Amino acid sequence: MRETVYVGMSGGVDSSVTAALLLDAGYDVVGVYMKNWSKDLPGHHCTWEEDYQDAKKVATQLGIEFKMYDFENEYRQKVVDYMVAEYQAGRTPNPDIMCNQEIKFKLFLDTALEDGADYIATGHYARVKDGKLLVGIDKNKDQSYFLYRVNEEALKKTIMPIGEMEKPKVREIAKRLGLATAEKKDSQGICFVGKVGIKEFLETELGPQKPGQIIDQNGKVLGDHEGSLYYTIGQRHGLNVGGGLPYYVTGKDVKNNQVFVTTDISDKNLWNQTLTLSDLHWINEAPNSQSEYTIRTRYRADLVAVKSFKKEGDNYLIELKDEVRAITPGQSAVIYEKERVVGGGIVI
Amino acid sequence: MKDYIYLDYAAATPMDQRVIDSMSSFLSADFFNPSANYSPAKKVKQELNEARRGIANWLGAKSDEIIFTAGGTESNNLAIHGIMNGYKGKNVISSSIEHDSVIQPVSQYIYKIAPVDNKAIIDTDKLIGLIDSNTVLISAMYANNEVGSIQPIKSISQKIHEIRKQRLLSGNTTPLYLHVDASQAVNYLDLHHARLGIDLMSLNGGKIYGPKQTGVLFVKSGIILKSNILGGGQERNIRSGTENVAGAIGLSKALEIAQSTRKDEVSRISELQSLFMKKITNLLPETIINGSLKNRLPNNIHLSFPGIDNERLLSILDDRKLYCAAGSACSASSNEPSHVLKAMGISDELARSSIRISLGRQTTKSDVEKSVDLIVGAIKEIS
Repeated sequence: MRETVYVGMSGGVDSSVTAALLLDAGYDVVGVYMKNWSKDLPGHHCTWEEDYQDAKKVATQLGIEFKMYDFENEYRQKVVDYMVAEYQAGRTPNPDIMCNQEIKFKLFLDTALEDGADYIATGHYARVKDGKLLVGIDKNKDQSYFLYRVNEEALKKTIMPIGEMEKPKVREIAKRLGLATAEKKDSQGICFVGKVGIKEFLETELGPQKPGQIIDQNGKVLGDHEGSLYYTIGQRHGLNVGGGLPYYVTGKDVKNNQVFVTTDISDKNLWNQTLTLSDLHWINEAPNSQSEYTIRTRYRADLVAVKSFKKEGDNYLIELKDEVRAITPGQSAVIYEKERVVGGGIVI
Repeated sequence: MKDYIYLDYAAATPMDQRVIDSMSSFLSADFFNPSANYSPAKKVKQELNEARRGIANWLGAKSDEIIFTAGGTESNNLAIHGIMNGYKGKNVISSSIEHDSVIQPVSQYIYKIAPVDNKAIIDTDKLIGLIDSNTVLISAMYANNEVGSIQPIKSISQKIHEIRKQRLLSGNTTPLYLHVDASQAVNYLDLHHARLGIDLMSLNGGKIYGPKQTGVLFVKSGIILKSNILGGGQERNIRSGTENVAGAIGLSKALEIAQSTRKDEVSRISELQSLFMKKITNLLPETIINGSLKNRLPNNIHLSFPGIDNERLLSILDDRKLYCAAGSACSASSNEPSHVLKAMGISDELARSSIRISLGRQTTKSDVEKSVDLIVGAIKEIS
């Protein structure tokens, strides 16, 4: 009997090719569009309907069954509300990681299994082998960073075929098969906020923010900011304080609504050799002292070698072999052992 | 030679070459602002007024009763806001099958909605029954854009006429106007305003082989409209902004062609319509034809194929280069299926199995035959 795979189809080229490859590999394939968000934002049109149509179009071209799962309420609660709360607390969260943890590899997986799936599949650039998560072959596209909070049981039910190939190859397959999404542009930014940016989104959620002081490394007040939540540590910023050298955000005091900046790229507040992680998640097992690990403190950042781990209560204190720029509270730090994702946690 | 078949003329029509020719000099050589005082500008103004007169003629109206707008949506908005803004606390009545460009402005006032029967035809008595002493405006479409049902405008206007008389006798000075959205009707129906007994009428250039974003609002003399767009006072101070001269001239030409060839085109296209319906119901006996067979635009065919997902069907037809519309503009992807089909009592499930075919001036017998075969083929593949 043929096994059934439910493929999360976003209407993009990656998940389209994912479905095509699985069909070719002999699975019974069902395409599923997850409707997570449908609201337009000021200056940003939510393209969910177009994306849904594209996904359905590809499903029709492939001759596979197609469904829509409506996860808007859950996405709102688990991803958006979390994200807004994190920003309010002065941290910079990563909603895509939360979406993978709560929606794609929990809700979608559970719903698909209930509907008769043996496996789910997604168009992520990462690989799954025996419940282990490995980086994608395309180093430039690797999305394993976003997947470190998925658990082993979910991975055992997951297939990620395009993690085995490079992006140009994916486009080529789409073109060769004449898929409707072959030429479609890659999406940009956080899925539901798009290119307008997080500031406009937070403004619609929280209302306009109070301006406050921007203070430089010498304690001098440079001018006003538009709300401290919008500033992320390490960010090179158009601070609207006029000309001269670029400024980098080194910290903020949400309570007093102050943002601290520096013009000195080597400012010690911008560089860290240690970091503390909370809310840890290990895919297979926790790191041990025998193996060599590397860590990535933001998406696409270089991997840095870990010198030591120290457990401090529920948290991990991590010492690095080199200094890293802009370690940001709320962001995820992901730990690798060679090509394998071990897990990670949230920077505090 | 086109390599595709287009059957979505209710959505957009290609511009007639004669329309393009009538417009082209006003896009470059005769570009002058018609409000300017030098002679070439005055000549442009004359041409604009010629276009206005031409349109007025087909409506049996006077030139001053024609307001140029940027399309059907604007005409509908101007009619509804233009009247209702002057009568705070009064109400407007519309029907359950109107276009969004009527529903949306109407719903900003006190409003009531008249129902339709299962053929998408307004129940005149029920609509008239909704009129109370504070009703100022009735807005009803001439022909429906989804299922092509032609509305009983004349019988509505006759009854309105009676109510007006009674109001005068009883000393109620509240006016009662009838606005008609004729966007889909112009190619096939009579537009004479006095024969129809209407007060305001919206026309749309983009549906009659004229330019998109051109439109007209007929406003019977004596009716005061509040302006939506303030500025230099063009269009009798009702719709300011430098006139779209080329657009107005193109629209006038398009209307002339549509109305002067109307009778021949109605008989030609009715034959194609009945050929289409016969052929498809022969090959697929389970096909349901939605809407009225008697009071129907001759170019509209609205079908349901029970059990067939219309998005899937259209996607296959798209690949085979047959372009037509989902019977319900927003189907499975959206929460709300078409309000028109809902108003007719068609189930959501059947609505999601429906497609709209709209024939047009370029449609040939062979297009119809090929299309039916393509549709039947696609349905057999997915059922």
